[in-house]
Amino acid sequence: MTRYLVRRLVTFVLVVFVISVGAFYLIHLLPGDPAAVILGTGDSPANRTKLYAQLGLNKPIYEQYVVWIKNVLHGNLGTSFISETSVWGTIRAAIPIDLEIMFISQILAFAAAVPLAMRSARRPDGWLDRVLSAGSFTLLSIPSFIAIVLLVLFVAIDLGVPHTGVSSYVSLTSDWVVNLESLALPSIVLAVGSFVVYFRVLRSDLIATLQEEFITMARSKGLSQRRILWRHALRPSSVSVLGAAGVNIGGLLAGGFIVQYLLDIPGLGYTLIQAIGLSDYLVVQGIVLVVSVGVVLINFFFDMVINLVDPRIRRE
Amino acid sequence: MSDSSPLLEVTDLCTTFTTPTGPVAAVSGVSFTLNHDETLGIVGESGSGKTVLSRTVMGLQPRRNVVVTGSSRLNGVELVGASEAEKRRVWGLEVAMIFQDPMTSLNPVMRIGKQIDEILRVRRGLSRSAARDRAIELLELVGIPSPTQRYREYPGALSGGMRQRVVIAAALAGSPQLLMADEPTTGLDVTIQAQILNLLDDLRARLRMSVVLVTHDLGVVATRTSRLVVMYAGRVVEVGSTRDLFARHRMPYTRALLEGSPRLSNPAHTRLVTIPGRPPNLAQLPAGCSFAPRCAYATAQCHVERPELQPADGLGHYFACWNPLPTPTGVS
Repeated sequence: MTRYLVRRLVTFVLVVFVISVGAFYLIHLLPGDPAAVILGTGDSPANRTKLYAQLGLNKPIYEQYVVWIKNVLHGNLGTSFISETSVWGTIRAAIPIDLEIMFISQILAFAAAVPLAMRSARRPDGWLDRVLSAGSFTLLSIPSFIAIVLLVLFVAIDLGVPHTGVSSYVSLTSDWVVNLESLALPSIVLAVGSFVVYFRVLRSDLIATLQEEFITMARSKGLSQRRILWRHALRPSSVSVLGAAGVNIGGLLAGGFIVQYLLDIPGLGYTLIQAIGLSDYLVVQGIVLVVSVGVVLINFFFDMVINLVDPRIRRE
Repeated sequence: MSDSSPLLEVTDLCTTFTTPTGPVAAVSGVSFTLNHDETLGIVGESGSGKTVLSRTVMGLQPRRNVVVTGSSRLNGVELVGASEAEKRRVWGLEVAMIFQDPMTSLNPVMRIGKQIDEILRVRRGLSRSAARDRAIELLELVGIPSPTQRYREYPGALSGGMRQRVVIAAALAGSPQLLMADEPTTGLDVTIQAQILNLLDDLRARLRMSVVLVTHDLGVVATRTSRLVVMYAGRVVEVGSTRDLFARHRMPYTRALLEGSPRLSNPAHTRLVTIPGRPPNLAQLPAGCSFAPRCAYATAQCHVERPELQPADGLGHYFACWNPLPTPTGVS
């Protein structure tokens, strides 16, 4: 386990390094003088001088990277020349919203997917399995931006759930009821997409596991169906679904952008789209970096969970 | 339950699988009884229905696409047609099964100890620590060194022979009266096979259990069973005491099986006799005796009319053959 952890950590550091180079280079990929690109509408001789000093723009590019990465590692992503505020401050204010939406949506998705996948796998091609499979496939084919409109139209308005955010959004610590209300809609929309993936992956793995001889052995001990499913079949069937969760949550960040934008929820996605609109490239760069590292971290986390769940992987 | 009534009574048991290409009779009209403290061997080639029979006897056959008729009574309780809940009461505590391949019959992601003491906690209501102590005792009983450490390990850390010992310990945990052993040594190295069989034999005597030993290897059953059931294509073709079947078998198939297994009494380099052809397709059985196409003694009658079991000289010795082998004289 320790060797595996060390190996994974080395890979993790390498991947983060590559990401940081990519995020750094983003500014230079755009045509024209990077200073003009960064300053955007805030371009003035005074700002230009400040920026050259801040980023070391007259030095060779690798030295610029060293200057930049040192700042990043100290939590300094620069100061936006458009909003005149710290980029890291902007990002830090948005992150809790993304984390909360992600957390709630994943809890909801798993809470629905695990028991339903078990029900389905018990009788593959039974009526319940057919209904759930067809239903989940239908859900899968609805894009989140359509789902959100439908939910607002037919559910949120009737129930009085807030469906536009910026004005009504409050943090979890100041008023959790209002906070959960305002994040309910985006969490549900994202949960639906995740649920479909988890349900389908877990269902097929459970069906395969239930054919295994050790399940027959568990039956021969006179254990209840419920116990066999939860204690004997779930764990060996969960490697794929955990892997899928790792990948899916990464994709969820991107999917979340649309949902946040449509519902006016001031998370990272909303902030990113605004920054793009304002050509606020330092904020864009910061968000790209933070989100990428976040995705890598999430995958790293799920790799560790898979490792704990299945001792067979540990030995390899 | 008095010892005079049989522990297991199987009557006219049939297991038919429903397949897309039609029904397949894996077990047809099998009857036998097993007394307390007795070991019964079920022998036959691969595909003769032994495994399906052993599972059907305890009601463990898959629940879908299968039709079971006849009767299988354990301690007088009918298991054919019983609900899962009824069978669950019997499973583990009255009858337990040892599976063929210990590489697949243990849960790879569950600690060994838990797989053994689970039944004690769930079915017998033992406390966590009492169940743990008993599981370690059982690991010791089946000859696993340093059982306290092994208790916490996953099956992947053990060799095949050790895993089969764990499977046996798990089967013994519920103190069953009947142990169904389905080819318990087929998946193991030859050197380990004898160890496991001797262990089973020893445990049976010590714990006063009855054992149904399913195998394709007559060498395995020769000294370890009191009675044998010979199966071919899902039917019993000969049944009797082990002694009678070795010395006075009447069915050519039984002889073929005997000649196909190596014996120490033969001189070195004796060629083993193989049975020509292969077991029939259960979905398309011939009209007469299923063995007729491969039988050196087959006559025209054998191909059209199926022989029923008929009594031989020995007590409880029956065979199904139109042209039985003569009883050897001077053999006792």
